[in-house]
Amino acid sequence: MISGSKIRIERWGRALAALMLSWLFASSAWAFDLPELMGLLAQQKSGEARFTEQRFVRGLEGPLDASGVLSFTAPDRLVRRTLSPRPETMSVEGNTLTLSRGGRTRTLALDSMPELLGMVEAMRGTLSGNGQSLQRYFRSTLSGSATGWRLDLEPIDPRLAAQVRSMRLSGRGGEVLGIDMEFIGGDRSVMAITPERGAGTAAVPSAPSAASARTTP
Amino acid sequence: MTRAAAAPGRRRVALTLGLWLLALLAGATLIARTHFSADLSAFLPASPDARQQILIEQLQSGIASRTIFIGIEGGRDAAQRAVVSRAVARAMRDSRLFDLVQNGDTSDWKDTGTWVFDHRYLLAAGLTPERFSAAGLRDAILDSLSMLGTPAGNALKPLLDRDPTGETQRIAEGLIPASSPRSEEGVWVSRTAPRALILATTHAAGSDLDAIALAIARVQGAFDEATREMAGDGPSLEMTGAPVFSVQSRDQIKGEAIHLAVVGGIVMGALLLLAFASPRALVIALLPVATGVVGGTAAVSLVFGEVHGLTMGFGSTLIGETVDYAIYYLIQARGAAVAGTGWQRWRDIHWPTVRLGLLTSVCGFAALVFSGFPGLAQLGVFSIAGLVAAALVARFVLPVLAPDGATGMGMRRQMAQLAGFLVRGLPRLRWLLSGLGVAALALVLWQGGYLWRANLGAMSPVPKAMQSLDAELREDVGASDGGTLVVVHGSDMQATLRSTEAAGQRLEALVDKGDLSGFETVTRVLPSEASQAARIASLPDAATLRSRLAEATQGLPLPAARLEPFIADVQAARALPMIRRADLAGTPLDAVVGALMFERTAGGWSTLISLHPGASFDPARLAAALDGLPDVQVVNVGDELSGLYKRYLRDAFVQVMLGALAVVVLLAAWLRSGRRLLAVCLPLVVAVVLTLGGMAALHVPLGILHLVGLLLIVAVGSNYALFFDQLRETGRADEDTLASLMLANLTTVVSFGLIAISDIPALSSIGRVVAPGALLALLLSAAFARTAAPSGSGPR
Repeated sequence: MISGSKIRIERWGRALAALMLSWLFASSAWAFDLPELMGLLAQQKSGEARFTEQRFVRGLEGPLDASGVLSFTAPDRLVRRTLSPRPETMSVEGNTLTLSRGGRTRTLALDSMPELLGMVEAMRGTLSGNGQSLQRYFRSTLSGSATGWRLDLEPIDPRLAAQVRSMRLSGRGGEVLGIDMEFIGGDRSVMAITPERGAGTAAVPSAPSAASARTTP
Repeated sequence: MTRAAAAPGRRRVALTLGLWLLALLAGATLIARTHFSADLSAFLPASPDARQQILIEQLQSGIASRTIFIGIEGGRDAAQRAVVSRAVARAMRDSRLFDLVQNGDTSDWKDTGTWVFDHRYLLAAGLTPERFSAAGLRDAILDSLSMLGTPAGNALKPLLDRDPTGETQRIAEGLIPASSPRSEEGVWVSRTAPRALILATTHAAGSDLDAIALAIARVQGAFDEATREMAGDGPSLEMTGAPVFSVQSRDQIKGEAIHLAVVGGIVMGALLLLAFASPRALVIALLPVATGVVGGTAAVSLVFGEVHGLTMGFGSTLIGETVDYAIYYLIQARGAAVAGTGWQRWRDIHWPTVRLGLLTSVCGFAALVFSGFPGLAQLGVFSIAGLVAAALVARFVLPVLAPDGATGMGMRRQMAQLAGFLVRGLPRLRWLLSGLGVAALALVLWQGGYLWRANLGAMSPVPKAMQSLDAELREDVGASDGGTLVVVHGSDMQATLRSTEAAGQRLEALVDKGDLSGFETVTRVLPSEASQAARIASLPDAATLRSRLAEATQGLPLPAARLEPFIADVQAARALPMIRRADLAGTPLDAVVGALMFERTAGGWSTLISLHPGASFDPARLAAALDGLPDVQVVNVGDELSGLYKRYLRDAFVQVMLGALAVVVLLAAWLRSGRRLLAVCLPLVVAVVLTLGGMAALHVPLGILHLVGLLLIVAVGSNYALFFDQLRETGRADEDTLASLMLANLTTVVSFGLIAISDIPALSSIGRVVAPGALLALLLSAAFARTAAPSGSGPR
């Protein structure tokens, strides 16, 4: 009786282990998908980064260069502070857009300009890992893996599509490292993002922990 | 046999009836030609201070009185609402009934955009000689370049060669309000509800209700047209705003007054039929009522030149009191020993009491006539004229038509029995009622000023649901209402514009600090001529500009050679004539100017700067920022309105107290007995205190119209109290007198009860006070009657 039950338990155990193994195997074979990327991004609650930007505008002799600091505070505060060539700040928080340049400050309701709202929601959606918000405004294609991904976005809203042809965000783990935009009419902008050392140290551990999290479900 | 002698002579009959009919006809003719108004400003003081004057001018004829908020709600989806919004807005623009129609569709701003672009060097606020120095040009060009290669770049690129310093963009930024509505599908929508929004300014003045009604009908027509194909799943139309309310109030109060008159007439007719069992008596009883309403309305029309809708609604409350006169007469003139002499007996025994009651009412309402508030004064004139007319009819016309009162008996015996039972039973409850009175007084005193916490809005004839819809639409549109305004005065238009620009500069600093998120000022589209001249003077000649541009664009990817169109435009601008008010006529910008600048009725000009408070807004910092500008005032609309109302309430209190004092003095002079005076006044005071106590216990916020209601309790109740005084003095409590009191009270309570359930807050607040108050006045008069009426049936 005792041995019979023992055998049965052993058999159960072996079946269970096989099941778990196949599950593990199957999960590691999954492609890197949007919810997963959003999961990685969502872990980064806030961060600050330096950026350099090059804009290629048709009709101008040579690219326009700009550099400055980007910062994001979850869930909805996004600030782009341009330091060169002219100091200028653009910040969005909730539904308020504030522009400061040349010593003047302007405030606008973000949702009164749907094109802008779409752009901002896409950025905020990406940075806060809110896939729904992103997919409301853009068709997305994700390629690569957690250690090097590219997210291609195409606007859905016709008003935005009349201005922006496509956007490409690239990054590693939970960090966005580049934003490229292509506009209708042929202008382009290429932005490289370097996480700040202070914020970066906070951001680095999130990548490996995210990677290990992927294999544990 | 003695009839001919006792009854009024034939000639006198003819004269009386003739005079009465003539007066009635004259009154009706006058009313037919009367203008009915409905704006709340009639309830604003006639002699305000400077700030209140601005507010009142604005409420009466300012942009607020011409702005209509339109919501297109529900339906299938946002796309459908956008289609309807565009169609309705287009039809509204085509109708020419509106100065400005905004629905978020920017296509109609195209011409305006071109005009702004052509006049940019006259409009640009920051245009100084420094801006056109080499360094200034370089900064400005860098700012413009920073927008290229961004989502906004495509809009700016075509202008780069002609406007490299981005003046157009800066002007446009200033014209977009900081709190614009949300935009979806290309039109304005609500942030909280499935609703598309349209904001319109009527061409007609807010006081021209017929023209406003036409404009509103046009909106409705356009909406019906746009949604005709949508059958079941189309959206619905909502409209609010002062003009809509004025028209609605006029119609609603008219309708409500008629409705109340009809329902009240039917109920009262049934009561009178029960009491008299005679249709003839019923018709006769209604004559003083009709005469009173006609007389009151005609008198107001004569004195004020127009009748406020609220006064008309109030007219229906008068039915309750004027019908009493007929009831007293019809019952009390009965039972004459010689046929045809009943009216003489009534005239001798009862008329003095009725007359005294009338005089006390008139005294009470006379206080309102002298009120500094036209609306309140109208109520006073209406009441006095109405009561006097009704009493005159009862005294002179009814004796002609029914010399012996009403013949039928109907249910009066039962009424008299009930009345007799009350008269005998109630005095036992005297102590209980006194105790209740003391408790009520304690409660009223304890609540004190808190009891009188209703605000000006409670006087509004606009129903609560419409008020909250209005608040929602205003919130959706981002209209700054009830907030803070900056008002600038000047002796002429240019001086006013210069002061406005000075205020604007100080406010700009607050915007940079974040205290304000923005402000709207007329000088963005109509700068003072001094500023325009200064801007033109800042523009360098072609050669200078060319050489500065060469320096400014060094190292930039924008070569100076590309900027020749810019140099040409600047040269053209130096020859442009100044922008004058007339140049804006017919453009959407004209409506902007009309909203923010106006000629004062008292002379001179004023401009308004409407503020959009920022996160760190502080009224003290705002005042400090504008300190030292003598022509500039900060007006907090909410504070001013509540200050107005407080003053209004205080004045009304004084007037009501004076009225009450006049009533007491009159009674004292007539009764010539402290004991009798006390006996008459006590029940009235207790009735008022108990009514107030009840309101306090039910947590009803009281306002001015409740106060007027209290005055009505005294006016109506004094009749009851005086009859009980008469009963005590004569020692006779005959069935007929008691029955007439019962019936008179019943009709009063019923008519005010009907008003109490009215949809119009102003009317219902009067009804809710007077209906219970009048009942209490009768019961308390009976309860405090010192000499209990002799038991058994009185003399027949």
